[in-house]
Amino acid sequence: MQVFKLCLRVLKKNIPSLLIYVVIFLAISLIMALAHTNEQEDALFSPSKSNIAFLSAEETPLVRGLKEELGKVANFVELPDDAEALQDALFFREVSYILRVPEGFSERFMNGEQVQLEKTIVPDSFSNAYLDLKIDQYLNSARLYVEQIEDLSQESLVQYLKSDLSADTPVELKTNGVKAADHVYTNYYFNYLAYSMLAVLILGTSALMLVYHDQDLQRRNACSPLSPGSFNRQFFLAILVFTGLTWFLMVIFCFLFNFKNLVNINAVFFVANSFVFAVCAAGISFLVGNMVKSESSIPAVCNVLTLGLAFISGVFVPAELLGSSVLKVASFTPTYWYVAANNRIAALASFNYASLQPVFSAMLIQAGFALAFIAIALVLGKKRRLE
Amino acid sequence: MIVRVKNLVKRYGELLALDHLSFTVNDGEVFGLLGPNGSGKTTAINCILSLLEYDKGEVEIFGRPMRPDAYDIKREIGIVMQNVAVYNELTVYENIDYFCGLYVEDKKLRKRLVEEAINFVGLKDFKGYYPKKLSGGLLRRLNIACGIAHKPKLIILDEPTVAVDPQSRYKILEGILELNRLGATVIYTSHYMEEVEQICSRIMIIDKGRAIATGTKDELKAMITLGEKITVESQHITPGQLNRLRALPHVMEAEYKNKQLVIKSGKGANNLEAVLDFIKKEKIQYGKIYSELPTLNDVFLEITGKQLRD
Amino acid sequence: MFTHIFCNRLKCLLRDKENIFWTMVFPVLLAIFFYLALSNIQQGEVFQSIKIAVVDNAEYQKAEHLKTALNEAATGKSKLFDLTHAAREEAEQLLEQDKVAAYLFVEGGRPKLAVKKSGIRQSIVKSFLDSYQQTAASVNSILKNKPRDPQQLLNSIGDRRQYVVEVSGTAAEPDSVLIYFYSLIAMACFYGGFLGMREITDIEANISPLAARINVSPVHKLKAFLSSMSASVLIHLAEMFILLLFLRYVLRVDFGSKSVYVVITTITGSLTGLSFGAFISALVKKSEGIKIAILVGGTMTGSFLSGMMYLEMKYIVSQHVPLLAYINPVNLLTDAFYSLYYYDTMSRYLLNIGILGFFIVFFCACTYFIIRRRKYASL
Repeated sequence: MQVFKLCLRVLKKNIPSLLIYVVIFLAISLIMALAHTNEQEDALFSPSKSNIAFLSAEETPLVRGLKEELGKVANFVELPDDAEALQDALFFREVSYILRVPEGFSERFMNGEQVQLEKTIVPDSFSNAYLDLKIDQYLNSARLYVEQIEDLSQESLVQYLKSDLSADTPVELKTNGVKAADHVYTNYYFNYLAYSMLAVLILGTSALMLVYHDQDLQRRNACSPLSPGSFNRQFFLAILVFTGLTWFLMVIFCFLFNFKNLVNINAVFFVANSFVFAVCAAGISFLVGNMVKSESSIPAVCNVLTLGLAFISGVFVPAELLGSSVLKVASFTPTYWYVAANNRIAALASFNYASLQPVFSAMLIQAGFALAFIAIALVLGKKRRLE
Repeated sequence: MIVRVKNLVKRYGELLALDHLSFTVNDGEVFGLLGPNGSGKTTAINCILSLLEYDKGEVEIFGRPMRPDAYDIKREIGIVMQNVAVYNELTVYENIDYFCGLYVEDKKLRKRLVEEAINFVGLKDFKGYYPKKLSGGLLRRLNIACGIAHKPKLIILDEPTVAVDPQSRYKILEGILELNRLGATVIYTSHYMEEVEQICSRIMIIDKGRAIATGTKDELKAMITLGEKITVESQHITPGQLNRLRALPHVMEAEYKNKQLVIKSGKGANNLEAVLDFIKKEKIQYGKIYSELPTLNDVFLEITGKQLRD
Repeated sequence: MFTHIFCNRLKCLLRDKENIFWTMVFPVLLAIFFYLALSNIQQGEVFQSIKIAVVDNAEYQKAEHLKTALNEAATGKSKLFDLTHAAREEAEQLLEQDKVAAYLFVEGGRPKLAVKKSGIRQSIVKSFLDSYQQTAASVNSILKNKPRDPQQLLNSIGDRRQYVVEVSGTAAEPDSVLIYFYSLIAMACFYGGFLGMREITDIEANISPLAARINVSPVHKLKAFLSSMSASVLIHLAEMFILLLFLRYVLRVDFGSKSVYVVITTITGSLTGLSFGAFISALVKKSEGIKIAILVGGTMTGSFLSGMMYLEMKYIVSQHVPLLAYINPVNLLTDAFYSLYYYDTMSRYLLNIGILGFFIVFFCACTYFIIRRRKYASL
């Protein structure tokens, strides 16, 4: 087991630098997962009230009615009507939405003219879309009345709208006891693992492979009475042990911070899926390690590969928001299937074959990727040895 | 007088790296600074070059005080550092051209000088190579070429042969002598006494930052009491014989160890003869007898009580 | 002498693949990743059709208006829904297997929704139904109140108007994706720190033997440093311009009317990055590994506090420790970019650029006082 021991020693020497990465990645994963948990994916179902500024150049029943309606979903922040102050407020996030009602809006609206309200927003916020919907719904409904009913006063219009807009669709959450929202954190954490674990594995394994591929050392090894097979096996074993440890460490971390949400069957599948991915990541690392030529190129390759995969497979940006062509490309990567499986697991409410089947096939695909990577790596490695 | 160093003192905290070091280097000399690792050779060189602050003392080069902004002096100095200092992104030719260009602005002249330097160190076939592709010996030669391409009057080489193969070492030493013949004054530091003995016209031995002896190699050897070392390979010598041997005139020391009798005797003409007579008289059986003249290591050993290289 | 050192330095830097990778290739690659991940949002075609099922029973058949509305939403090129009609159990199963995002059923004359989780797609379905019901309520009440033209009413329902229009400080179309690219440019600017760091390494004799060699040559140290630093500045500015051009013309990121300011900010940022790297390198008298760790760590911390990874962080800092926001150069740079987005006045932008300018001067001055020394206590 000389080779195996040597490998562990090389890895041990690299522990400080790897640990820095593990800690950074864990911190980022935790922060991101927490951030996304706070963001509450179901913002549209039970939205937390966002802070908005409502600036109106006129005080009419119609505007008051609109403000009242918006009051159901937003807190109003009083701001001076001064460009700089408003922009400061947006800049420092005191408000995320500024709505401006122009002078004469109500009158023109009641006359059936084409009018618009102006908004200035902090980009990229779910609650903004929700506010837009609310305003559009209010004014579209109002327009129907204006068009159809003669001599309609603003007061009675507002009364009509008030009762109309109270209609709400009841929602049944079909889960078997476990609330789906419980998996939000776990889902993000495990998705993030696709980035962090892969990065740590590539860094560690490549460092190992560089030692292995050092030409002088390789020739010396070739002269030893150890068969190449045994050599490779020990080497592989070392990589697997390293993979196992990394995986264990990172998964344990999730349990430490999120234990109460992990005592369920979904967690078992999350862990199993991450393990399959870990093996696949080891395969990728093995392949990368076989291809890098110098120590300085390791971080470069590692960063590009992990970030690239993470971006196109829905780790950083939810897959539902990605373009279909991007997703098509992504489906040729194991990360995509790993993330897809995670998202499915998060939605699992019952565990019969039909609902598990997509999870299993995603795992199988990852395993297939793992085999393919290892096979390519072995072929390349052999070619390189003979160079 | 090319270089004059007077009472140089350099402290690193508690450690006294240079202890009132004084010496002069004359025009046309190959001046050797010999000392074990950590004796202060490199520190002395860096102080002379005004790279290091020193606590006390004066350094004059070409009769003028040396300062960091004494560019007219620096222009005439070539320095080859202990560590290889070249740009990895520049080829052999470009590196030499770059460093030469810091001294010589005229492009035509520089081109000629660079070519000469390349031929001089024998890197003609490696002009377009990047330093990473060069072997250790060739890299050292490039390091030297970068230091001497501008044909300086004073060349300072700080251990230029560390970790160099014998062939490159020979080439480097020959080159240094050639530069000296062409008119350059050379300061050469090393902890290899053979090298120093081979090329230096005057040698200063330093230890713990102090100059312990200065002179030509013969002068140095004359300074010590040891005149000759005689070794006799013999199967058996009694303690009585050893004692009688020690009583002989000129014999300073006699030891019998590992079937080898080592006799150190003082200066004198007939040391070997006296020992041979003694062996005959005592009927000592012997295999081989040989006699050695003292080396610089013996000089160092006698003055400091320790070996030059441990 | 200037040209001699400058040209050789250019050669060195351009041949340093690792340096070129981190300072140019990597930001460009990141830009491509951003583009791939965000282009969909940018182009507004956020949603693919959402698969939903509807329980097709007698009650559903009675709700004719709902049927029409659903069918309308489920036809056409950019349809909102992929509709499956199914029996109750079947719908339940489809939901179970994640074949549909939600299913709806009619109960007591009102549509209801069944979901397994509350994601974006489910929310859209709910909004659709809410809107349907509210509109239906309006229609009912209008019909009770002697409408002018009931026929026209139906057309009006279909004609949903957008009543809110976004205005922003910039004349360009407001574009949330821009902020990500601003962060990216800021990050690339600070990668210039590596160049600044190398300049110091190669001029300080107590760090590298190469520098010692230059220190013993008859060239004024500061002159050598400035010649060489100019090459780094030129290279980094060129790299930043390539990045900007790449963003503008390949990825078609629209910086709007403020393109000139984006360029000015990038130049300021690049100089800040370079001088920051030089400053750290001159200040920290440790091995190169440690210097790089400090530079990367410092930049990362700065980026983190400025919200590059987690946007909220920026606001937490500016609320609780506003001073930190003003002494964090990364934050100043991202703020300068953001202020181009949020403000139509330039005062905040100029404030940020001004403080950055002060930082550049500060870093350069400190670096000067440290490297001015010609002799070293130890090598």
